[in-house]
Amino acid sequence: MSYVFFPGCSLEGTARDFHQSTMAVADALGLALPEIPDWICCGSTAAHQSDPLLALALPAKSLAAAGGKTVVACCAACYSRLKTANHEISKNAATRRKVAEALGHDYDGKTPVAHLLEVLVRDVGLAAIAARVKRPLEGLKVACYYGCLLSRPPEVTNFDDPENPMLMDAVCKAAGATPLDWPHKTECCGASYSITDPGIVLDLTREILAMARIAGADCIVTACPLCQLNLDMRQKDIEAKFGEAYGLPIFYFTQLLGLAMGLAPKTLGLKSLVVDPMPLLAANGVV
Amino acid sequence: MNQQSHLAAEFTRRVLDLREADFAAEVERASGANLAACLQCGKCSSGCPVSARSSLRPHVLVRLVQLGQRDEVLASRFIWECTSCQTCTTRCPQKVDIAAMNDALRRMSREAAKVFGETTVPVFNDIFLRTIRRLGRMYEMGLMTSYKLRTGRLMADVDKFPMMLAKGKLALLPKKVRGAAERKKLFENVRRAGGKKP
Repeated sequence: MSYVFFPGCSLEGTARDFHQSTMAVADALGLALPEIPDWICCGSTAAHQSDPLLALALPAKSLAAAGGKTVVACCAACYSRLKTANHEISKNAATRRKVAEALGHDYDGKTPVAHLLEVLVRDVGLAAIAARVKRPLEGLKVACYYGCLLSRPPEVTNFDDPENPMLMDAVCKAAGATPLDWPHKTECCGASYSITDPGIVLDLTREILAMARIAGADCIVTACPLCQLNLDMRQKDIEAKFGEAYGLPIFYFTQLLGLAMGLAPKTLGLKSLVVDPMPLLAANGVV
Repeated sequence: MNQQSHLAAEFTRRVLDLREADFAAEVERASGANLAACLQCGKCSSGCPVSARSSLRPHVLVRLVQLGQRDEVLASRFIWECTSCQTCTTRCPQKVDIAAMNDALRRMSREAAKVFGETTVPVFNDIFLRTIRRLGRMYEMGLMTSYKLRTGRLMADVDKFPMMLAKGKLALLPKKVRGAAERKKLFENVRRAGGKKP
């Protein structure tokens, strides 16, 4: 199958390590991920809170430029906006017409969209991934954190079970790690309120970190730039405000998978993580 | 009059007030959410991540909309605390799209100039969208600078900047994306479709 990549804005900024580790892993697995030429921002929360047509037209513009190939996204928010645009445009002729007027051309809402986790599990296959693992992450207890927008609403994303998704758990297991059964897989981290109302983010990320620790996790694994940044960068603020130090490394799933595949840490952007993962990785014999 | 019959009378008065009932119809039209289907079971509120901190909860908000409480709803803080996590919409046994309702309420709140005073979310959203129109993609440094200047929150998270720069988390310059004229046209077309001057 051939794909085109929609990195999304975060992967060019705060989540450059997600971009780097995605490319490293894709390369090693023989997945070609050329970018959609001149893709533009999906509009994110700002667009859907402000203008419903803009919220569909922005992703539709990039989807229409995909040449009919499957669009792969890494950011859960981009994924959600791309999927929502397809859902609304393909099911409603009036919406399709309005979007066409905004774009200046028709778009049918049928460009397939997949998250990288879906590509890894459904297209590449867990057996093929396991076959590439050189340094299984034995003994590493991971809490897979999916956040909101990969699995919700299921009618739109059709990603996995909305209450207990398992795709990331399956990838981590193929990498030799031990994914934990824990209840906060799809709780919200507060996302972009990190800037406008950080109190919300501190409360919500604190709950997630606390639950991961109670579940016995060595680290949290994420699939979204906002989840990762909030859980990683806000640990210091949580310590200052609540006097609770978690010290939990927050990885992207591509970073852990890359390590298990024997890729060099520097090709996986581990230095960009705020909570230093090296002591944990060294203690587990990964690096 | 006891509390129950007082509520019943109040309910009837509100339901019969057509001008107020218009509000629910307006929200339904703007959001596509079938608010009349709400059973007030509270499942949305028990899963809502901001219910605990907020003055309102999702099922209460739906009720207020049904009862035509335009001012209270549009001026509420809750609609700017909703994280758009879609838990309410996903779990609703009646398939009421509460997250879409909140999007519509935020737009209506802005149009009616009723936005809760302390929230900076609309400022953030405007800067965000202006950046996309101009550059095609988000430029975090520019977004943060404009946001700080517009809101006066100059010192918020300043300690994060050196760390983020050192860790390669911030691009110093925006990426160049082709198609500026096309983008401008897209934004103009959207504004025109919304009945605004392009």
